Amino acid sequence: MSLRARLVGYAVLQALVAFGCVVLLTLPLPDPPNRYAIATALLEQAGEQVPVRLPYHAPRALADKGPLTFTIGFDRPADTQAPWSVMLPRYIDGVEVEINGAVLLDAGRGLNSRADRNAFELLPIPDALLKAGPNSLTVRLHMRGVLNGYLDRVFVGPDTALRPASELRGLIFRTLPIVFAAWQAILAILLGVMWLKRRAEPLYGVFAVAMALGVVQALTVAPTAQTPFPTLNAVLLAAPALEAACLVIFMLAFLGVAQPRHIWLVFVPGALVAFIGLVGEPMFVLRAFLTVGVPMVLLSIVFMFGVMSYMAIERGDGSAALLGSATTVLLSFGVHDLLFVQNIITTMPYFVGRLSYSALLVAIGIGLVWRFATALNEVDGFAGRMIALVNEAEEKLRRSLALDEERSRTAALAGERNRLMRDLHDGLGGQLVSIVALSEQPAWEGPRIGEAARAALRDLRLVVDAMDDIDGDLMLALATWRERTLAQLRPHGLELVWRVEGPQGLPVHPELRPWHVIQILRLLDEAVTNAVKHAAASAVTVTIETLAGGANPSVGGEKPADEAARRRGRITVADDGGGFPAPEDACDGVPKGRGLANMRRRAARCGAALHVHSAPGAGTVVRLDLPAVFPDVEQSG
Amino acid sequence: MPSADPPPDAATVVLLVEDDAPTRRRLHDALAGAGDFLVTAASTLAEARAAVERLRPDVLLTDLQLPDGHGTELIREVRQALPQAEIMVISILGDEESVISAIMVGATGYLLKDAFPNDIAATVRELVAGHSPISASIARFIVRRTQGTGNPATPSKLNTTRLTPREIDILWGIAKGFSYAEIAAHLGLSRQTVPGHIKSIYRKLEVNTRGEAVFEAVQQGLIRL
Repeated sequence: MSLRARLVGYAVLQALVAFGCVVLLTLPLPDPPNRYAIATALLEQAGEQVPVRLPYHAPRALADKGPLTFTIGFDRPADTQAPWSVMLPRYIDGVEVEINGAVLLDAGRGLNSRADRNAFELLPIPDALLKAGPNSLTVRLHMRGVLNGYLDRVFVGPDTALRPASELRGLIFRTLPIVFAAWQAILAILLGVMWLKRRAEPLYGVFAVAMALGVVQALTVAPTAQTPFPTLNAVLLAAPALEAACLVIFMLAFLGVAQPRHIWLVFVPGALVAFIGLVGEPMFVLRAFLTVGVPMVLLSIVFMFGVMSYMAIERGDGSAALLGSATTVLLSFGVHDLLFVQNIITTMPYFVGRLSYSALLVAIGIGLVWRFATALNEVDGFAGRMIALVNEAEEKLRRSLALDEERSRTAALAGERNRLMRDLHDGLGGQLVSIVALSEQPAWEGPRIGEAARAALRDLRLVVDAMDDIDGDLMLALATWRERTLAQLRPHGLELVWRVEGPQGLPVHPELRPWHVIQILRLLDEAVTNAVKHAAASAVTVTIETLAGGANPSVGGEKPADEAARRRGRITVADDGGGFPAPEDACDGVPKGRGLANMRRRAARCGAALHVHSAPGAGTVVRLDLPAVFPDVEQSG
Repeated sequence: MPSADPPPDAATVVLLVEDDAPTRRRLHDALAGAGDFLVTAASTLAEARAAVERLRPDVLLTDLQLPDGHGTELIREVRQALPQAEIMVISILGDEESVISAIMVGATGYLLKDAFPNDIAATVRELVAGHSPISASIARFIVRRTQGTGNPATPSKLNTTRLTPREIDILWGIAKGFSYAEIAAHLGLSRQTVPGHIKSIYRKLEVNTRGEAVFEAVQQGLIRL
């Protein structure tokens, strides 16, 4: 919506609201049936009785001359049994009522009714006071001198006929203000609690103070009245001005308008009235209230209306438009009250500004609740967005974790596969190729083919065994290897001596992996094969033992855990064959040199140390010292 | 293709069931060459069943993968028909899967297909004498099962609750690579009683409700039909 459209729309809206108010003000309050109305009276003036028409307007200047005495005659039909009442629908400021000389009401001296409560009376007439035929009603009208005196038509008739109009006035002018005061009290409490919990937002506190002042103001009576605490009452006359000041501050904050630097000046009129209330005479205080307090209230309303209109038009603020409309109501009724006080409007002799203030309060209530609900929705939305974001991040993380896991599993699998491929290539593959080669020889190679095939099978079992889950206990793998070796040695007539030193044999290595096992078993296989093929031995002795770690192997040291961690296994394969000279130097040329290099490479891969000791005639000893901890990755040979 | 003469009473009647012809001939020759066995060879389940009817063998040696069925069916039938017969499964690798599934239906031993002829005859002779062979890996498998651990990828209904602590100790010793003599010394037994214990272990691992056992084994993926 363009600025212009908003401007026009807002103006039209306010015009409609104002028009509605005017229409409402022209509606007369329902009166009792006209036949009970008495529109003429005799007014006592300078000792004479002058006929006057009711309603009667008396200039406030007459206040000093004492009450105006109206004498009103009426007839009571002789056959009437129903109780009768007299009703004064509106008077300003106070009345005394007498029937045939007996006092019915003496509200004139106290003058304790507030002007904005739009005083009226319904007075039941005791039957004993009434005579059949003409009766006399005397009304004395008292004035304070602030407002012009006023006496509406008087109704005298059956109580049942007069009561409905009276009760409607009671509802509008007595009950409704109390209801609004209660509403203000509730707002004061709610907003006060809100401010207690949200000190960062003083607007709630300011509004709570405004509402509390409103309650005080609604319960205050005029300072001229006789109350136990006249000074307090006088001070409390400052309440409307202070309430208006608080509302101005609240409204600026509520609409998000920057507070002017000297905003505290809005409290000056209220403070002034309060000060005068402390020191001044009651009438002077009342004048101060009327000349400082009321204009302050009106100025505040106009100022707020300006701010709301600006926000509604310039910013398109919906709640500002609502508040503006409510303020238009307040302004319309306020203007009516002003015109009424200035005697410009006489047809509607009621104060309605204070009542219409409730429209603004209702609008503010709506605006606040609307704002809370919006904030709550935003919080929900924010929480929802946060949840979505967190879920998204979590999902992303999970995906990347799954991806990482997948990747590492793939890598581990690929590593395993590569090792297996190499193992199969090293052993099984080579043996099968040699079987193929042997079978293609023109000469009969049956025994050699058989030998190669057996070696291939043995290797297959070795790989399968190494894959088995042995929980790091190399002894379990060696047990199977022992069976295979026994079967291998038996046809050659070699004895296998198996010696396990100590109850446990080898330490358990939780970090032991299948590829470690394969390297160790292959190495041992090669040692045994060498003994079978080259040593011409009669027995192969395998010794398995555990060496205590460190320099002091015999003493169980102070740190058994460390001691255990440093314990190392040793596997020795010894034959009683011919031996060979200086194996360390025999790497080149000598056939078994290659086998030795292979064994060394295998030992190095899994962090073990290999010692080969041999001398002609003294057999060969292959000693494998296992590492304290097997390496994670293959060590380079 | 049964190739049998009526068995003399003294000799041990052996039924050999193996579908691979060279392997069958090799095993046949190894046993026949030993002199104290009367060997009949069959290559299919159907031939084997006929031969069981006809010969009532003392020893059954059977492969598991047969062209017209699974060897465990044959083992189960023979176990029921001839309770006194000794049954061995012929395996290439002596792996737990095939050996344990055979033990569960009534086998009390296993034979490696590439064993040397002398070892083949000796193993069968031992079996007839009541000495069941067992490998370290089979022993390990059974011990694992008693501990409730083992590879979850190959679950099995192998029921080890009837094994005594002593029998489990023996199995553990075998799994660790100790010889029968070492185990016997360790446990305060006579060396000769250890093989008998092993046969008893096999018998205890046998599932009594046969049909159910096979069904379970198939369910568990232990037997691939």
